[in-house]
Amino acid sequence: MNKIALPNGKFVVKPFNKMWIVLPILVGLVVLFWQFIRMDPAFQPENIKLDQLKIILVKLFTPKGNRTWEDYFKFMLKLENPLIATLKMCFAGTIIGSLLAIPFAILSSKNIVKYPPIYWGFRTLLNLFRTIPMVVLAIIAVLFIGTGLLAGIIAITLFTFGVMSKMLYEVIETVDMNPYEALESTGANRVTAFRFAVVPQIMPIFISYLLYVFEINIRASAILAYVGAEGLGVAIKDNTLYNYDRVGATIMVLLVLVLIIQTFSGWVRRRLQ
Amino acid sequence: MIEFLRRLFKIKPQPKSVLTPEKVLKRKPKRWIMNLLFTIAMMAAVAYSFNKATYNEIRLRTFDISFQTMIRQLGMINWDFFFGREPWEFVDGIVFMTIQTLAIAFLGTLLGAILALPFGFLASKNIVGKHVAVFGDFLLTVIRVFPEIILAIILVKGFGMNAFAGLLTIGLHSIGMLGKLFSETIDAMDKSPLEALDAVGATTFDKIRYGIIPQVLPDLTSVALYRLDINVRSASVLGIIGAGGLGTTLLLAGDNWGWDTIGAIMIAIIVMVVTVDIVSSYLRNKLI
Repeated sequence: MNKIALPNGKFVVKPFNKMWIVLPILVGLVVLFWQFIRMDPAFQPENIKLDQLKIILVKLFTPKGNRTWEDYFKFMLKLENPLIATLKMCFAGTIIGSLLAIPFAILSSKNIVKYPPIYWGFRTLLNLFRTIPMVVLAIIAVLFIGTGLLAGIIAITLFTFGVMSKMLYEVIETVDMNPYEALESTGANRVTAFRFAVVPQIMPIFISYLLYVFEINIRASAILAYVGAEGLGVAIKDNTLYNYDRVGATIMVLLVLVLIIQTFSGWVRRRLQ
Repeated sequence: MIEFLRRLFKIKPQPKSVLTPEKVLKRKPKRWIMNLLFTIAMMAAVAYSFNKATYNEIRLRTFDISFQTMIRQLGMINWDFFFGREPWEFVDGIVFMTIQTLAIAFLGTLLGAILALPFGFLASKNIVGKHVAVFGDFLLTVIRVFPEIILAIILVKGFGMNAFAGLLTIGLHSIGMLGKLFSETIDAMDKSPLEALDAVGATTFDKIRYGIIPQVLPDLTSVALYRLDINVRSASVLGIIGAGGLGTTLLLAGDNWGWDTIGAIMIAIIVMVVTVDIVSSYLRNKLI
């Protein structure tokens, strides 16, 4: 049983394995949640066509019908405008959103604002705001100002604002406060003290986060085309019915773009650390 | 800014001569100019991004009317539809869709975590050696970079427009990040328990059971819980491609100006995400 007798006459009690509590809960959750997947009216055996998976993969990465490989790669060059639209959307959104996040991050950091109701209030607001997905923001922006690039910029700005303000206040809370106190003791006001004691400490981290969020935004912005923004997603959305080869070409452009940005931002972030 | 560029290009600082106040003052304006130039360049790029940014002028002009409509309709949330009561069926209601979203995220994360284990071993230098690990790492990068919506488009073709396709999308896409973090955890593992087990004559199975699993399981669970947070958000959006969950209802509501439905979905998303955040951060704090 659980008690093991040792040769010297003493007993060792085998500790209770918590797995016996965790495992049933996990299995229970899986069974419960599976019911909700199974109850989906569209989840029917006749809808599952595994052979389609192979067909669509072939369709995506080979030219369609009488088109040649030359057309396939030429289409990539035609993607110049959507590519620029994606970059514009993500760039403007990331920069403006991050700048907007700075005052809110300062107001919700414990060590700068020493008054709990203020920083807890701002934190709760930011936490609630951050739960709204980028697509919902884009749908709302489209309802207000119509489809187009501007709606995309607004959605990305608000999304970046939510993510950035949280990461930034966490960074501000970890800075070394001694220089700040030293400056205050020399008679500097709080703005000057923040500018010369805290900003130099958080600047490299801020820039690396900026690149990180830019990377996330490029990847996430493809889906915004489905709700009315612009960018590479439009080329994917418009061609999903008949021109799978064009979707494939767009995917490759998107992949290369993401890889380039990831490599670049990884390089910069390594240097900054 | 100069320090930043210097670090970026690994330029060594100039050898310091004896500093006089004049020299210090002379050096100061340079940095100021660099900062200004950088800021101007950034702002110019942002301004260029707004150049010819397309929008609907008529809708922008009727902004106040849209706003009033929104406020009015947000007060008229249809609670029968929300809970899936009488005129509607339970499977059409927002509560059902929300729990289905949660189900997609939870089961998807679980599937991703299970599938990520072999990939994690494949990409860790400790287990398979340097050369194979590079290959495994490259494989994980490819999975990570492949956009989620493309995966959803492909899987919806094969499995139909239902929640199961969403589950598979989330699962397959999670492999990329989970596998990478798993391999980092395995690499950071302490090897001395394994040697101790060797010394008492343990079998390979015993070594895995008592030497590896107790060490890495808390970290792996915490990583998977973190991924669950991310997946809950993306699962609520995948329905736009038709992969189940709240997204489909959301897209239809957006097309029909259904502010009441959008409001109801936002309430549901906020409640769901906040709950998952609280539970997962509680569990993660307990694990560490």
